[in-house]
Amino acid sequence: MPQSPTSLADEVGIALANLADAAAGAFTPTLRLGVTGLSRAGKTVFITALVHNLLSGGRLPGFAAATEGRLIGARLAEYPEATIPRFAYEQHLEALVGRTPHWPESTRRISQLRVTLKFQSRRWLAGMRGPSTVNLDIVDYPGEWLLDLPLLSLGFAEWSAEALARAGDAEAVPEARTFLELLQATLVGGPATDVEAERLATAFTAYLRASRDDSHALSALPPGRFLLPGDLEGSPALTFAPLPPAQGGVRGSSLYAMLSRRYEAYKDDVVRPFFRDHFARLDRQIVLVDTLRALNAGPVAVRDLEAALTAILSAFRQGENTALSRLVARRIDRILFAATKADHVHSSAHDRLEAILNRLVANAAQRARFAGAQTRSLAIAAVRATREGTIEDAGHPLNVIIGTPEPGERLGNMRYDGRTEVALFPGDLPADPAAVLDGNERVYLNFLRFEPPHLVERNAEGAPILPHIRFDRALDFLIGDWLR
Amino acid sequence: MTEPFARPLAEPAKTGPEARPSPKAFLPAEVRIEEHEPDFDVAAADPDQSDPRLPRMGWPARLAWGAGGLFLSLALGLFADSVINDLFARYSWLGWAGVALLAAFVVAVLAVIVREFWAVRRLKTLDRLRRDAAETLLSDRRADGHRIETALQHLYASRPDMARARAELATQATEIFDGGEIVRYAERVLMAPLDARARALTAASARRVALVTAVSPRALVDVGFVIFESVRLAGAIAALYGARPGFFGFWRLTGAVLGHLAVTGGLVLTDGLIEQIVGQGVAARLSQRLGEGVVNGLMTVRVGIAAMRVVRPLPFETQKPPMVRDFLPELVNASRRDTGR
Repeated sequence: MPQSPTSLADEVGIALANLADAAAGAFTPTLRLGVTGLSRAGKTVFITALVHNLLSGGRLPGFAAATEGRLIGARLAEYPEATIPRFAYEQHLEALVGRTPHWPESTRRISQLRVTLKFQSRRWLAGMRGPSTVNLDIVDYPGEWLLDLPLLSLGFAEWSAEALARAGDAEAVPEARTFLELLQATLVGGPATDVEAERLATAFTAYLRASRDDSHALSALPPGRFLLPGDLEGSPALTFAPLPPAQGGVRGSSLYAMLSRRYEAYKDDVVRPFFRDHFARLDRQIVLVDTLRALNAGPVAVRDLEAALTAILSAFRQGENTALSRLVARRIDRILFAATKADHVHSSAHDRLEAILNRLVANAAQRARFAGAQTRSLAIAAVRATREGTIEDAGHPLNVIIGTPEPGERLGNMRYDGRTEVALFPGDLPADPAAVLDGNERVYLNFLRFEPPHLVERNAEGAPILPHIRFDRALDFLIGDWLR
Repeated sequence: MTEPFARPLAEPAKTGPEARPSPKAFLPAEVRIEEHEPDFDVAAADPDQSDPRLPRMGWPARLAWGAGGLFLSLALGLFADSVINDLFARYSWLGWAGVALLAAFVVAVLAVIVREFWAVRRLKTLDRLRRDAAETLLSDRRADGHRIETALQHLYASRPDMARARAELATQATEIFDGGEIVRYAERVLMAPLDARARALTAASARRVALVTAVSPRALVDVGFVIFESVRLAGAIAALYGARPGFFGFWRLTGAVLGHLAVTGGLVLTDGLIEQIVGQGVAARLSQRLGEGVVNGLMTVRVGIAAMRVVRPLPFETQKPPMVRDFLPELVNASRRDTGR
């Protein structure tokens, strides 16, 4: 039986925190936006673009509050929790639009930011009181950690069975074989030693890291802290590995018992607080999915991505909110599924990209809609790195995208140095999204990663205007109705 | 994708109890299956958006107009010919003056005709543009959105009051990737200010009508004034949205407005009937004259709303469509203040 992701004490804590928020938010309500996405899905860039566009009044024609002139302005506010680092917005923006533009480095720790929005309400009663304010709270965290959320409802035995099945799969990486062989040589019911546990954990971690590599691009690789340990590196809570069920009774001093205890400790002390503090009390959610990376790697990676998304999203609390229920039990009432990096394909293929995204998140979306949440899916690019064009190839016009590939990206025999601009035809996305999952039909795709745009435009105040694709629509769906 | 479905084959009709074929399933491989996509009619989907099409003439009317016009031109030609001949018979310089005058007259008439033609065409353009925009909102095709944007730019190219909004639309539209979003954005920047002005025009007209009704000595005076004010209002709103109706254009516009009023039964469907009755009841309670003023004012408001719906080049998507009840409180207050009660 699946366990509940939270304990009773957690539930009480969550309800009390919601109540406190409601009391504090009587004058300035707080909207908690959950930016979810696996590692490299583009969370940091999305948040940076979001904050920057709000602060500088960027070009957001589809964001009704801004276009209709209701949004007066935004500013950064101090985050109420003093122990969590601040989201380094300025540094990330500098990385994107600085002298040598590059994507922000991958996130290694959790950080938070609060943006206060000031607007004039269109509603009669709220409009009478003059401008209203809303706090927008955003959390950035390593995407790998998200993989742990499904563990909350799995016991050690269940997780071990799943993990071993995955490692034993014919298409798994060679490192999986090394780990399984090591496991063969280990006496599961034997006495517990730290050396043994460490050796297993090291082999298991090596296997997870290898699977995540671009050529395989697998996603469902819990536990996430094995990939990105943060300050827990080497601690006992991170020194375990999946084990086959022990024959006969399990003694308390056996290896199996020790690793099982550590697994539970990992869940209780690492995963659950992370979930409780940051994901149990969200109002809105955007799920960023890097479909292109999985498509590059093939059907196995795409199927794996689908499984990971479905498992992760089932941990969130979705459903309708009423004014009363919001006091103690916040639920996510709007979810946006976004295929990020839409600038890496031509706009004529965006429909197909959205179709593939819809197929990937079908289970999760259905579940959310059943619970009463609104869902939408969009192909977006928070920062648009490419331009579009057409070229003549063998008498046929081809839609291409123009940009500078990152150093080290390769296509065929060509390896790019990060300085040459190219026009890329990455291949046609299949019209039937099922084709990318079952792999019956060969799909020829090769997407390259592009550098951020050079020489961005600046507005009258000198703030850079970040070009984007449908970012305004995403924003309007996520927070627009709070700014009415 | 439509699933394969089984349908009975055409068989010779049998008589007797066997006449009705018993239920049976067919394997898709054995029969030829014709699949049909359901016909999604854009306009019929939303009864509230019953945007009136401009009325078209039937063939008898066309024949009558055409034949009559041709005959009349023949008569006029004959008349002109005889007059010029007569003038030449008197003095030759008088004849030349007559020819010059006639030429000037013909040129002027041609100019008027061309202008009328353009005005009528413009009304049709607005009508088509609105339907295209409604379709684009559903299809979300980028190329369609850009076409509508270009058409709007063209339509308002000579309007100094919209220069800034047009420039904004032009810069933003290149960076929007969905046709529907382009239409929505165009509505927000181009239509919203025009909507506000059209509302103001309507409200002012309705106020005038209410005031004249409340103080006029005879019923005939207010009927005349309502008609005068309605015609003026419809013309002003059409000019505001860029229709610039001439004589015939105005004729068509009037037809469309009346048609719209007839279709919606005199009220805009989204309005609650109750509110109107209550509003009128309140006003009538205050005074009978005041009540009549409000009723006449509401009639003018309806004409204004109908005119807006007929000439607005984009459907109401992001903006709230105008409703009679928006004008009601102001109207009641205004007539109370104006009549000093």
